[in-house]
Amino acid sequence: MKKVININFQGTIVPIEESSYELLQQYIESLRHYFANEEGRDEIINDIESRISELFQERLKAGSTCITDDDVNAIIKNMGRPADFEEADKGDNESDKTAGAGNAKKSENFFQGDWSWKGKRLYRDENNKILGGVCSGIAAYFGIDPVIVRILFLVSGIGVLAYAILWIFVPGSNMLENGVRKRLYRNPDGKIIGGVCSGIGSYFDVNPWLPRFIFLIPFISFFFRWGHIGPLTFPNFLSFSFSPGSFIIYIILWLVIPEANTTSEKLEMKGEKVDLNSIKNSVLKEMKEVGVRVGKMGQDVGERMGKMGAEAGNFAKEKGADFGKEVHFAARRSSGMLGKVITTIFKIFMYFVLGCIALAIIIALFAIAIVAIGLFPLKNFVLTEGWQTILAWGTLIFFIGVPVIGIITFIIRRFARVKTANKLMRYSFVALWILGIVCFVSLITSVGRDFRSISSLNEQQIPLTNPAVKSLEVVPFQNLNYRRIGWFNLEPFGTFGSTDDTAFIGNVRIRITKSPTDSFQLSIIKMSNGRSRRFADTLVSLISFNAQQNDSLLMLDRAITVNTTDKFRNQYVEATIAVPVGHYIKVDKNFGYGNRVRYRFFTQDPDWYYYNNDNDHDYDYNYGVKYIMKQDGLYTMDGNRSDGRDDDWNNNSDDNNQTSPPANDQGGTYRYDKNPKIDSLKNAQEKQIQKMQAAVDSMKQAREKEVNHMRDSLNKAKDEIDKKIENLNRRTALIPNCEQKIADNYTFIMYI
Amino acid sequence: MNIDNTASQMRKGVLEFCILSIIKLGEAYPSDIIDIMKSANLNILEGTLYPLLTRLKNAEFLTYRWVESNSGPPRKYFSLTEKGAKFYEELEATWLELAGAVETITGKNK
Repeated sequence: MKKVININFQGTIVPIEESSYELLQQYIESLRHYFANEEGRDEIINDIESRISELFQERLKAGSTCITDDDVNAIIKNMGRPADFEEADKGDNESDKTAGAGNAKKSENFFQGDWSWKGKRLYRDENNKILGGVCSGIAAYFGIDPVIVRILFLVSGIGVLAYAILWIFVPGSNMLENGVRKRLYRNPDGKIIGGVCSGIGSYFDVNPWLPRFIFLIPFISFFFRWGHIGPLTFPNFLSFSFSPGSFIIYIILWLVIPEANTTSEKLEMKGEKVDLNSIKNSVLKEMKEVGVRVGKMGQDVGERMGKMGAEAGNFAKEKGADFGKEVHFAARRSSGMLGKVITTIFKIFMYFVLGCIALAIIIALFAIAIVAIGLFPLKNFVLTEGWQTILAWGTLIFFIGVPVIGIITFIIRRFARVKTANKLMRYSFVALWILGIVCFVSLITSVGRDFRSISSLNEQQIPLTNPAVKSLEVVPFQNLNYRRIGWFNLEPFGTFGSTDDTAFIGNVRIRITKSPTDSFQLSIIKMSNGRSRRFADTLVSLISFNAQQNDSLLMLDRAITVNTTDKFRNQYVEATIAVPVGHYIKVDKNFGYGNRVRYRFFTQDPDWYYYNNDNDHDYDYNYGVKYIMKQDGLYTMDGNRSDGRDDDWNNNSDDNNQTSPPANDQGGTYRYDKNPKIDSLKNAQEKQIQKMQAAVDSMKQAREKEVNHMRDSLNKAKDEIDKKIENLNRRTALIPNCEQKIADNYTFIMYI
Repeated sequence: MNIDNTASQMRKGVLEFCILSIIKLGEAYPSDIIDIMKSANLNILEGTLYPLLTRLKNAEFLTYRWVESNSGPPRKYFSLTEKGAKFYEELEATWLELAGAVETITGKNK
């Protein structure tokens, strides 16, 4: 039983079965595609339609009640499908190449754009391709030899990237095969949820349960507890563990792939047989062909080079005479041509630039999305409940998620060659993204307000139980929480492991200064930001930071805690250890691990931490190294300065102001703890000598003090510069991360 | 290099010449052209004939007129233009030359 419809075909009424009508329509559509670049396309199609109409009439006159599939197929067989024409065209091209003088007419036609490429659209020429047909397409467009374009692409450095971009964005000339083009549709007849899987199944000609199973693997594995279970565990986001990845992909495909509603769409959905085997075969064939084509091209170029040499001579001889005659005509023609060529080159260039920009935006977006997803679980430590949380969700979904999904959608549509332009979808994407921008901006301002004020600075002296030790080693408290492994390494809070509502952040800085007395001193400054100064002061009072001395060990907390109720507001602890001259200090290398976390929302002087206490400047030092405090600074046990500065630098700058002996002479020989020892022989002469010695010493000391003072002030200046640099580094610490991500994404995209 | 390809190239080379020759005899309708060629055992697809005719027409070698038909839409009958006649003569000369040459060469093998 078949439905019969009446169509008006070339001015006559034709009763035709519905499926036959779809067949006919497809056939004519395929011809339309095939002759897309023909000058007389409409005329040709019209002629063919007339002929078909005539044949229909013949059949109807012969007594058929309507046109059936068989009739249409017989007619199509007589007329020939585009694939059959193609064979003929191939013959054309080859005769072009092999024929000698006889191709004059052909090439004339060629330049007139008689059979294709008449300044309409740039296509990839898939009939003469070596890789993707980009070069031969451009060559055909300009009517020049593809070899020239290929050489240009090879010679220019950007060739590869340009080629890839053009390959993606320039449509192929040969988008149809055998008249029926296969498209990816959702199959409404075999659907369980959206028909995506059954559509994919019929596209690849496999049982729909195969794609279904692939989509289900993540969920099945959840029940069998394969792999991790963290729902947004980033590295496994798309892997075969429980992840929303496959769900999201399903939703995107559902949005992107049109449903096959009409018979013709259903036919297109099934199309010709493309089973996995034939894909494999066609890939293998393609690979082999690339090799053959490259070889052939090499041969071709060689031959042509020889020919060119010979022809150049002829050309010069023959054309020399004609030249004068033709020059007038050529000039007129080429001025038009030249204009066209320039516009087209400009167009190609613009395509390329736009492509590059698009690629960069896509990569950046994916990087941002990955970072944002990674940071998102931490929002509770920063954002207050209510509006800020809602805004954060809005930002994640609309500002970051929507463009990512939009781009994925675009790419899939390109690859699946979905033709339906969905305006509604485009507008809703834009609208949602604007909503996302609004969320993002409000979030930033709202959070920025919470960081606006800084706490009052109170230095707190911590009494040491035994401040007179000769050397002090600063070690962290043993805290089991520090040893926990963060489940996600991108996040700043996770370095010391976080529980759900408490995070340890390494915002502890240990400064080393010179003690004015002869005993160790420890002082602590706690700092925080907040919505108001009072709020910040409250947060400061909540910071717990412990210090305990145990003989020569000074135990300090390595991290401070932040919890989800009080929030993270740049809490920061600065512990200052004042080391007396001649005493030793070592800070355990464990203090060097862990991230300092600080957010800055254009609110205050970024360096306020470092200007709070500039009476006694601190020294640079390395973790895990033992130092000795000298009058002029901190020295390693080898006698090098802690900041690693070489003495020449000091000398030179000292010399600018006053002539002083090289500083290292004194620094190296003089020891503050070298008090004149009282000898067992206490005769007056020795006393006298000692007195003189002391006098010399004090002179030396005074001199040295002066030098030190100079050096210290210079050191101070340098330290400040260093700190600023460190600060800058810290600020840009996220950038390497991002670059890594960008690199990853880049390879990912290239892989696509 | 296979026989099909070479044979079809040979056929294609003479296609325009044959079509022009048929039209030269008198006004012709495309399906007549196909029939004549079929009867001479030179098979081409109808779908390739239409573009060829259109190209020849656009090159001003052919012209056509509409003729009402009692079976379906009006038909296009093609005829040769003056330019087309001249083109045909050139082709014919080339063909005779070529056929003679081929005959001379291949005849030696017989």
